[in-house]
Parts: sequence; structure tokens; C-alpha cells
Amino acid sequence: MTGFSALNTAAQGLAAAQRAMDVISQNVANANTPGYSRQRVKLAALGETSGATLFTGAGAPLYGVKVEAITRTRDAFLEAARTAAGNRLAALQSRASALHAAEQLVSEPGENGIQAVIDDFFASWHDLATRPGDTSAGAVVIQRGIAVGDQLRFVAEGLAARFSTMRDTLSSVVTEANEVAKSLADLNGQIRQSTVAGQTANELMDTRDQLVRRLGELVGGVAQASDDGTVSVSVGGLVLVAGVSAQQFDVTGSQELGAALTDPPTISWNGTAVPVDSGQAAGLLAALRTDLPDLNTQLNGVATSLRDVVNGVHTAGFTLSGAPGGDFFSGADADSLTVAVTSPDQLAVASSTGVVDGSNAMQIGDLSDERNATAALGGPGPSERWRDLSTGMGVTVQSLERAINVQDGVVSTADSAVESDAGVNLDEEMTGMLLYQRAYQASARVITTMDEMLDTLVNRTGLIGR
Amino acid sequence: MSISRVTYRATSDTALRGLQQALTRSQQLQQQLSSGKRVSRPADDPSAVGSAMQLRSDRRADDQYLRNIQDASGRLGVTDTALTEISDRVRRVRDLLVQAGNGGINPEGLAAISSEITSIRGDVVDLYNTRWLDRPVFGGTAPGFMAVDSSGTYVGNDAVIMARISRDATLRIDTSGTAAGAGTLPALLDQIANDVTTNTGAVGSDLTALDGELSKVLQTLGDVGARAARLDTTKNDVQSEQMDFTSRISENEDVDLPATIMNLQASQVAYQSALGAAAKVLQVSLIDFLR
Repeated sequence: MTGFSALNTAAQGLAAAQRAMDVISQNVANANTPGYSRQRVKLAALGETSGATLFTGAGAPLYGVKVEAITRTRDAFLEAARTAAGNRLAALQSRASALHAAEQLVSEPGENGIQAVIDDFFASWHDLATRPGDTSAGAVVIQRGIAVGDQLRFVAEGLAARFSTMRDTLSSVVTEANEVAKSLADLNGQIRQSTVAGQTANELMDTRDQLVRRLGELVGGVAQASDDGTVSVSVGGLVLVAGVSAQQFDVTGSQELGAALTDPPTISWNGTAVPVDSGQAAGLLAALRTDLPDLNTQLNGVATSLRDVVNGVHTAGFTLSGAPGGDFFSGADADSLTVAVTSPDQLAVASSTGVVDGSNAMQIGDLSDERNATAALGGPGPSERWRDLSTGMGVTVQSLERAINVQDGVVSTADSAVESDAGVNLDEEMTGMLLYQRAYQASARVITTMDEMLDTLVNRTGLIGR
Repeated sequence: MSISRVTYRATSDTALRGLQQALTRSQQLQQQLSSGKRVSRPADDPSAVGSAMQLRSDRRADDQYLRNIQDASGRLGVTDTALTEISDRVRRVRDLLVQAGNGGINPEGLAAISSEITSIRGDVVDLYNTRWLDRPVFGGTAPGFMAVDSSGTYVGNDAVIMARISRDATLRIDTSGTAAGAGTLPALLDQIANDVTTNTGAVGSDLTALDGELSKVLQTLGDVGARAARLDTTKNDVQSEQMDFTSRISENEDVDLPATIMNLQASQVAYQSALGAAAKVLQVSLIDFLR
């Protein structure tokens, strides 16, 4: 062993401690940075045997320490589990938000919903039945009929507006996903370059993991790592990002709620539909393809059953002037249901001609009773259909909210698993600081000691005869 | 949790999550208390909302049945009064007729009786034309405002007018003019007024005919009274059913006040504990113990 090689070893110890402190300071600085993974220096001892030298003789070892790598702590499995859980949560939340808006439109149970308007409408026919010739009672019937049409149109238009908002959201989600996919492919390229050049790309990888997560939230992508440090992301079995190349998705399909059943909104690639099953896009697609069109169909069912059941009795009766009754309601769906009768003397209140009779009006009023409406239509009447719509939607929203609660717990568990693995613990970093500070001090002390030894050798030996 | 490593960020995330959950729960309970409703939207409790809508609809139907009952009872009340008046008039005619039949009345007296009967006949025709909401109560569904015209001819029809008085029951609310003597009584009174002065021998048969008419009127009166009684019974039934609906609506959707207040109290305690824990857990680190 030679004093000069010990100096060199101590110098390496100082450098290693400095690098370690660099990494610790990076960890502490990024303790709260989202997506940051803690880094560690990987040290390795040197113990190579050198050739013979003048002073050491043959086979003396060359000691020292080197920084082998600066590694990033992130478990790919934990990260994949977190991404999958987050994707599913995003899907549930975006679907629930569509239904919440619909739920507000329904405004049941209450005294101002469609149920109340329909009840009032039928009640006004009973009032007319007791006063068949009274034009004011007739005017009330017409106004109540108009009110039912207005209320149904309000809900129908609300659903349509919600549909087009969500359709726009779907387009912007897919646009963002395309952008993220492009950035991801670029980042893959940079990571590959750094890796090939033997440099660390830890921060780039953190950013990339963040992008993968975002892509998952948007369109439910699943990531797969390759050996060269890049990741590929596939959505519904289709590879969206592979290495440095990224595909682009399109949104096709109807912009209008009315055509949503015949031309459902779809995410596609080169004309092929992509089966997106998680992420915001999946929730939006479920709402756009199923939930909102179904509600619209049910609402139209309320409107047409009301129209048919009232018109059926109305056309069988006669006006007080003896004319056969025409249609009371006209229109093909909830959006267009209007009262066809324009003045009270066109109301078919009587069951026969030439008499002042309110029995036909009473029959229409009696339709408020579920049994009469069902018998007349051979199926559920307007009130029953409306109740089915309201409770059916309630059940869907309730189950979605429960699923969201559960999924939220899953996400937070997965989050803390990732965080426990990759997050920065300040106590740990403090301990590391102590450790490397002491190591630095010790290496410095080695140099001092060597210096003193050399001082003895250089300045204090050979003084005889001076 | 089996993961041994704990970081500040994980701890603070957990603390934040706990705070959020406790606050959300408090907010839900506060909303229930301030609105007084346990269910305010379909997703709160879909089956309760289904019954709430059904119960409200039934209650509104009962409102309408009660309105129909009120109308019917007004109509039957007017009919009852008219028939009572008619029967009084007929009795008066009967008294006069008996008086005329006794003999010993001079022609001037008979003429006075005859003119009184003629004026009573006018009253009776007016009474048969009694109206409710501009419709003659004895006229059936015939157009026009009269059941009996000025010549004493019945111009109404005997069509039945029904009203819906409860979910399952309808009630006839008009009264047959023919059964109440509207078609025959005015003509008979004309004949009696005539017979008193010109054909005193017919008084006996007139008396029999008048008794027949009186019994028609009284029978109709009894029928109207019976229907009014049925209306009262139904009204009570519908009202008690309505009260029942109201209390079921309340049971179905209103908050259980004591339980909700207790829950709110508990959730506020939970929130305060979460706040306390969050404040304590993030207070110290190794830094505090190093020189």
C-alpha cells in the first residue's frame, strides 16, 4: 500500500459523497412534485489489482469507490395497477356527470315535476266534465295541455343540450389523447437516446409515466415497457403509441341526440371502431350511446302514450255543437308535443251529439287512474312511464355512485402503494444526509491524516546533521 | 396496510382524504336537515322516489275527487231545496182542492182558488227550471237553459249525468225530470185550475192524480237525500284516504329528525377528530431533533 493511492481513494470517497448529496438534494427538492420517483445512488467498491510498481511491489490492490448508477424507484406493477384503477374511475365519473344533469332535469319527487303537470291536466278534464259548456273550464284544459307539452319539451331540450355538450367533450378528450400520444412518442425517442448514450433519464421517465397516466384517464390506455426504456400504449387492443410513432384517433357519429341511436358516436382509427372500455372517453361513450338516447326514448314514450291515450278518447267524443272530436294532442315526440285544439268549443266533452254532456270529458279525466290508461293503451300509461323513467334513472345513478365510492377507495389504495414505493420520505433523506456528511468528513480526515504522514516523511526525516 | 414504507405525501394525502370524507358526510346530513327531506332526487332512494311519485299522484287525484264531490253536493242540495218547495206547493194545491170539493163556496171564492192554483203552477214551473252552474238540474243533458217551458211541456231529457267521486265510484248527480213529475205536474195543475171553476165534479179524480204527483216528488226527494248521504260518506272516506296519503308521503321522504341530528353530531365529532389528527401527524420530523 502506498500513501499516494490512499489519497486517491479518499478523493473518490469525497466525490461519491458529493454525488449522493446531489441526489438527496434532488429528492428533497422534489418531495412534493407529482409523479416524481425517489432516486438513489448506487455505489460500488473498487478493488482492482494493479501491476507491480516501484513502491508497492507486485499485486497490490487499487482501492476506491465509484457511482455505478443513479436509479429511479418505481414499481411497474404498482404503477400499472394505479393507472388501471384511475382509468376505471374516470369512466365512472364522466358517465355519472351526464346522468346527474339528467337527474336535475327530471326534478322528481316534487310538486313541480312532469308527474304533477300530468295530474293537473287530467284534473282539469274532471272540472270541465262538471261544467261542460263553461268556456273558462275549457280554456283551463287547453292551457294545462300546453303546460304538459312545455314541460316535456323542457326536459327533451335539456337532454339534447346535455348530449351535444358531452359530444363536444368527447371530441376534445380524443384531441387531447392524440396530443398526449404524440408527446409520449417524442419522449420515448429522447429516453432511448439517453439510454443508448449511457446517461440517466430518470426525470424524463417520470414525465413519461405521467403522460401514460393521463392517456389512461382520457382513453384508457394500457402501457407496456420495452427493453430500450420506451413504452408502448394500446387502447382497446389497438396500439396507439409504439416506440417513437403515435397513431391518431377520430370521433365519428351523430352530433344530435335524435340521431344517436342510428348513428352512435364512435371513436375510430382509420375507419375502424376502437372498443374503448375505460377512461373518460368510455364513460362519455356509454352516456352518449346508451344512457341519454334511452332516456330520450323513454321520454318520447311518455309523450306519445299521453297523446294516444287522450286522443283515443277525445276523437270518440263530440263537441257541444255536435261535431266529432279531432285530435287533442299533436306531435311525434316529447320535443314536438303540442295541443291541436285551439278554442274551448273544439273540445269533445260529450259522448253523443245534440246534448250538453260532460261524460267524455269525465272519461278523459278518469285516465289519471293508471288502470284506465293501461286498459286504453294496452300498455303502460304516461304517468307510469314517467315514473319508470325517473326511478330507472335513479337506480342507474345510485349504482354508479356506489361504484365510484368503491373505485375511489381502490384508487387511493393503489395511490398510496405507488407513493409508499416511489415517494420521498424526508426522514429517510435526513438520515442519508447524515450518512454522507459523515462519510465526506471521514474521507477528508483520511486526506488530513495522509498529509500529516507525508509531512512526517518529507519534513521531519533526514534532519540529522542540520 | 402491509407496506412498511411511509412517506409524508402519503400521510398528508390520507389525512386530506379523511377530512374530505368527514366533511362530505356532514354536508349531506346538513342538506337533509335544512330541506327536511331524506330524498331530494331519484338516486337518493329510487324505490322511495317511485312510491313518492305514486303517492303524490294519488293525493292529487283525491283533491280532484273532493272537488267533484263538492260540486255534486252543491247540485244535489239545490235539487233537494227545489223538490221540497215543489212538495210544499203541491200540498197547498191539495188543501185548496179539498176546500173547493167541499162545496158551499161561491163562484168568486172558486175563482180566487183557481187563480191561486194558476200562480202556484207558475212557481212550480220555475222550480222545475232550477239551475246549477247554468244547467237545469231536472233537464238531463238537453241543450238550453229550461227543463219545462212556459207552456208547461217538459223539454229536458232523462239522460243520466255521472260524476267521479272516488277512484272506484261514480254517482248520478242529476235528477230525472220525468220521475220528479216535471212532465205531468204543470199540466195537471192547469187542469185543476180549470176544473175548480168549470168542472167541480172532477175534483175527486184530480185529487187522486195530485196525490200520485206528490208521491213522485216525495220519492225523488228521498232518492236525492239518499245520494247526498252517500256523497257525505264518500267525502269522509276520500278525506281520510288523503290524510293517509299525506302521512305516508311524510314517512316515505321526510327526515327522521332525532336520528339525523344525532348522525350530524357524530359526523361533526368525526370531522373534528380528523382535523386534530391531521394537525398532529404532520407536525414533527427528524429535522426537529437534529442539531
